[in-house]
Amino acid sequence: MGVSFVRVYKANCNKLFLDNMVNENLVKDVVKEPYKYGFVTDIETEKIEKGLNEDIIKLISQKKEEPRFLLDFRLKAFKKWQKMKEPDWAALGYKKIDYQDIIYYSAPKQKEKISSLDEVDPKLLETFDKLGIPLTEQKKLTNVAVDAVFDSVSIATTFREELAKHGVIFCSISEAVKNHADLIEKYLGTVVPASDNYFAALNSAVFSDGSFVYIPKGVTCPMDLSSYFRINSGDTGQFERTLIIAEESSSVSYLEGCTAPMFDTNTLHAAVVELIALDDASIKYSTVQNWYAGDEEGVGGIFNFVTKRGKCLGKRSKISWSQVETGSAITWKYPSCLLLGEESVGEFYSVALTNNLQQADTGTKMIHIGPKTKSTIVSKGISAGNSKNSYRGLVKMGTKATGSRNYSQCDSMLIGDQASANTFPYIKSQQPNSEIEHEASTCRISEDQLFYLQSRGIEFEEAVSMMVSGFCRDVFNQLPMEFAAEADKLLALKLEGSVG
Amino acid sequence: MEIIEKIKTNKSIDNQTEIQKICLDKLQSSPLPNPRSEQWRLSNKSKLSNFLDYSVNENNSKFDIPYPKNSQNNIRLIIGENCQIKLIEKNYSIRQLSEDELQKYIKEQISCFNQNENWSDLLNLSLSCKNNILGLKINGSKIPPIEIFSYASSNSLNAKTLIIFLEKNCNVELLQVNLGEDTSSLSQSTFFCLEENSSLNHGVVSFGINKSNLLNSLNVIQQKNSEYNLGSLHFKFNYARFEIRIKQSEGNAKTNIKGMQITKKDEQISTYTKIDFDGPNGFLDQINKSLADDKSHAIFEGSIIVPKIAQKTDASQLSRNLLLSNRAQIDTKPQLEIIADDVKCKHGATISQLNEEELFYMRTRGITLTEASKLQLSSYFQEIISFIPVSKDRWDLLDQLLNEN
Amino acid sequence: MQSKMKESDPILEVENLSASTDNLPILKGVSLTVYPGEIHAIMGRNGCGKSTFSKIIAGHPSYTITNGEIKFLGENINSLEPEERSQSGIFLGFQYPIEIPGVSNLEFLRVSTNARRKFLNKEELDTFDFEELVKEKLEIVKMDQAFLSRSVNQGFSGGEKKRNEILQMALLEPKIAILDETDSGLDIDALRIVASGIKRISNAQTGIILITHYQRLLDEIKPNYVHVMSDGQIIKTGESDLALELEKKGYEWTDNFIKET
Repeated sequence: MGVSFVRVYKANCNKLFLDNMVNENLVKDVVKEPYKYGFVTDIETEKIEKGLNEDIIKLISQKKEEPRFLLDFRLKAFKKWQKMKEPDWAALGYKKIDYQDIIYYSAPKQKEKISSLDEVDPKLLETFDKLGIPLTEQKKLTNVAVDAVFDSVSIATTFREELAKHGVIFCSISEAVKNHADLIEKYLGTVVPASDNYFAALNSAVFSDGSFVYIPKGVTCPMDLSSYFRINSGDTGQFERTLIIAEESSSVSYLEGCTAPMFDTNTLHAAVVELIALDDASIKYSTVQNWYAGDEEGVGGIFNFVTKRGKCLGKRSKISWSQVETGSAITWKYPSCLLLGEESVGEFYSVALTNNLQQADTGTKMIHIGPKTKSTIVSKGISAGNSKNSYRGLVKMGTKATGSRNYSQCDSMLIGDQASANTFPYIKSQQPNSEIEHEASTCRISEDQLFYLQSRGIEFEEAVSMMVSGFCRDVFNQLPMEFAAEADKLLALKLEGSVG
Repeated sequence: MEIIEKIKTNKSIDNQTEIQKICLDKLQSSPLPNPRSEQWRLSNKSKLSNFLDYSVNENNSKFDIPYPKNSQNNIRLIIGENCQIKLIEKNYSIRQLSEDELQKYIKEQISCFNQNENWSDLLNLSLSCKNNILGLKINGSKIPPIEIFSYASSNSLNAKTLIIFLEKNCNVELLQVNLGEDTSSLSQSTFFCLEENSSLNHGVVSFGINKSNLLNSLNVIQQKNSEYNLGSLHFKFNYARFEIRIKQSEGNAKTNIKGMQITKKDEQISTYTKIDFDGPNGFLDQINKSLADDKSHAIFEGSIIVPKIAQKTDASQLSRNLLLSNRAQIDTKPQLEIIADDVKCKHGATISQLNEEELFYMRTRGITLTEASKLQLSSYFQEIISFIPVSKDRWDLLDQLLNEN
Repeated sequence: MQSKMKESDPILEVENLSASTDNLPILKGVSLTVYPGEIHAIMGRNGCGKSTFSKIIAGHPSYTITNGEIKFLGENINSLEPEERSQSGIFLGFQYPIEIPGVSNLEFLRVSTNARRKFLNKEELDTFDFEELVKEKLEIVKMDQAFLSRSVNQGFSGGEKKRNEILQMALLEPKIAILDETDSGLDIDALRIVASGIKRISNAQTGIILITHYQRLLDEIKPNYVHVMSDGQIIKTGESDLALELEKKGYEWTDNFIKET
């Protein structure tokens, strides 16, 4: 283990921001609950040396026993990355990242080939247990198949046999490279090309693991699939890659959760997610992101620079993104949809909550290419503390997108007078027979509403969290049940101490 | 680009005024705006270079105002022609700004210029000669409506500058008309300073013919309790940019903006607005409408900036767009940047065609498709046009111009 | 009396009409003939195709006729534009009259009336003459002149919108009026005003089709025929007592007819 200390969170007393409206009796300093997932697992890991060059990439590829095409893919991406400049256009401010000071491969040491969960290091199982993601046969979650990723590699995937019966492939992407090379070669990089952006290029060059999902024709995946990402080492970047393919008339709901220990250094997370939906297929992709956000002074935390994109290739296909973003020091993420197939549908439902010194720049791109395509965007940003929360979006109607429609709604809620909320929706149309409608508003929790709730005996904090979750309801409604409840709790937890 | 070459070599202008010197200096190192900057990204580069492809014309040929003066007491001014103005009546006075006042104010403005954002003003101030700068100070009440004309003559680039101070407690109705002849470029920069309790109903009507180009920049500073109402209409330009920058310097002011641009053929017309609230209790109600037909391109970018000091700001911005042809294009980008928490801000944008259900309804009442479209379009215009302080009897003229279009 | 009607030529003949929108069939073979002086009522559940039927007669561009034909005064009008149908004397009273912000009601009524007058080779009216005419017609629907200066239907209450529809009918003097749920959203007084308006405008030369859910409009305007529609088809036709029976027994009763057919 490189870094192995856990910061002890000081009890943190925050003064009321809404001071002029609440009388002294209500000023109740709240002890902020520490980040629950901040522990570090003490486990021996195999790491390669810091830094990035062609040899490192060859080494990663060799360690993973990859076929030639993949090594070429990586090297090409690396060449492109070297020629690219780190973007600075987003409304973000952060210290320059030293890409030579990052370890690009880290794996917990375990037996070469694991045939069953019993051979997985108990410490790892325990880690996921502690995170609420039990992997062992006795305890595993009912009706959710989980792929657990620890630092750079996938540890275990549950319910594999059950899924195999339906022809569903759910495994780590490394395994898929070995067992389903044809699918990987056909689809990898087709939605997010290596040259797409700086971080996607970096990911394409060094990605270590991630999840792979293939739903065959006509199959409705019998259970939700879920990946759980855990960054454990402090100096390791996490570069996972997810690829989901839904064949004709198939459907799947995929959940993604993330946590990381607390370090006082920044850790880079640059993932790429690619979704492909063929005729009549539907993919629902839900994320609850709770990476360590750094402390209240902005020390430490994850830099979350992620490229997520879905391609509605088939007619009447549908891709729906829903996300609850509460963690990370910096989030830079725009889950997008390319709507190619006639009558295909793209959706984006997002809640982004920032507190303390967090910065989030998130939104979506809905690119309408095919005719009669539809997209819906609902974004709710909540900024508290000194944080900065921006919505950045693009809706584009191409010349062939006749009869297409978009509806966007972006609402911001400001808590305290130090937080900022920005909206940058960008709308472009080249097709008269299409409709775009965008609405945005900014509000704060109204005193009248708070008073009303309080006069009915509801505690101040409870009232605030009720209003916040009411503000987010449109989005929570889109989340799978168990996620929605978790998201609600997470928001309440994150807001504690920031308002009263 | 003739102009740019001249700016680079600094040979263009004899007898440079101090202001021209300052601006030329600023432009010399990089005479063109950064085409990748947010403000210029969508601007058609070849059209901009065409704008700059004329030589500067400082002399004003005789210009006939396209319509007669009908209300006897209107005050009419043509920038470049009316050099000596001094109107002192019982209730009001309009007098020319002194050389010093002018210099001081413009220098102050230039000091906070940004190369990309204020490029149009820099260009204007470096080209516009003494004769073509009109500076006025207005004071008093019951001031008759004022009309101010700027115009560009064929095969030349004309730079005109207008600076107006509205002194405390005065109310003014002002119509600004910018006209471009065939194959001409007009650079118009306008600076208004509204002092406490003053109010200005400002109309801007700009139209050209065929290959007219226009860079129209408007800078307004509003002191507290002032009210600024702007109704604007831009059409018939090969290339036109209308830049509006409004600063409520102490908040507590009201701003209403209703603007409209119509593009046809392969024209490009864009509107950029930036509203800064530098104090609390500011109010903004803005609507911008675009109508794009044929192969034309209409652009709207609006940003609203509400810093921490601007608590209780109430701002709303709406961008409504009609796309009438398969080959036309509309870009719109409303933008909100908010740090204050006790604010009411909302914005909205729509791009669509004429409303099909409304059209059908009218057609079931026997009104032809063309007529129904016309009715709908004129109602679409109406909201904007009725906000432009033009006397009722001029509406016919506007109507006619719009219909021709 | 009925036989007397049939001696003249029909106003509207709908023959085996099928239509769809976005490839979704809505009407599945509807036939209906209206002679001068007749009042027909079409009843049925929500979504049975009643409103679609009225829109197709008026020529709504979203629907495609897949089979059958519509004849008006003996001529096939399948391919006529909505305005041509209106000018020639087909009137559709909307269930939800459209609000058109910015277009003045008076101007709208005038342009519309003149379009019809032009078709009838009548002299077109200037603003002044038209105002005279409107004032006269306003009385039929007990509307105030203030309505004229507002935008078309904008900010009108439900009842005001429906009265504005009848005002248009009075001005256009159609050969046939299809009134789509003109009674919905009206209180008793407004319903009486609307019903008496309809009665005053119609005569022995005109035909009326009332589309409705309820008996109460039919109490005011007694229909000659009642048609029950279900799933895009007319499943039963009877005289005015059919409506009463329907009111008593509910639409479940008509479900049996579908099984029979």
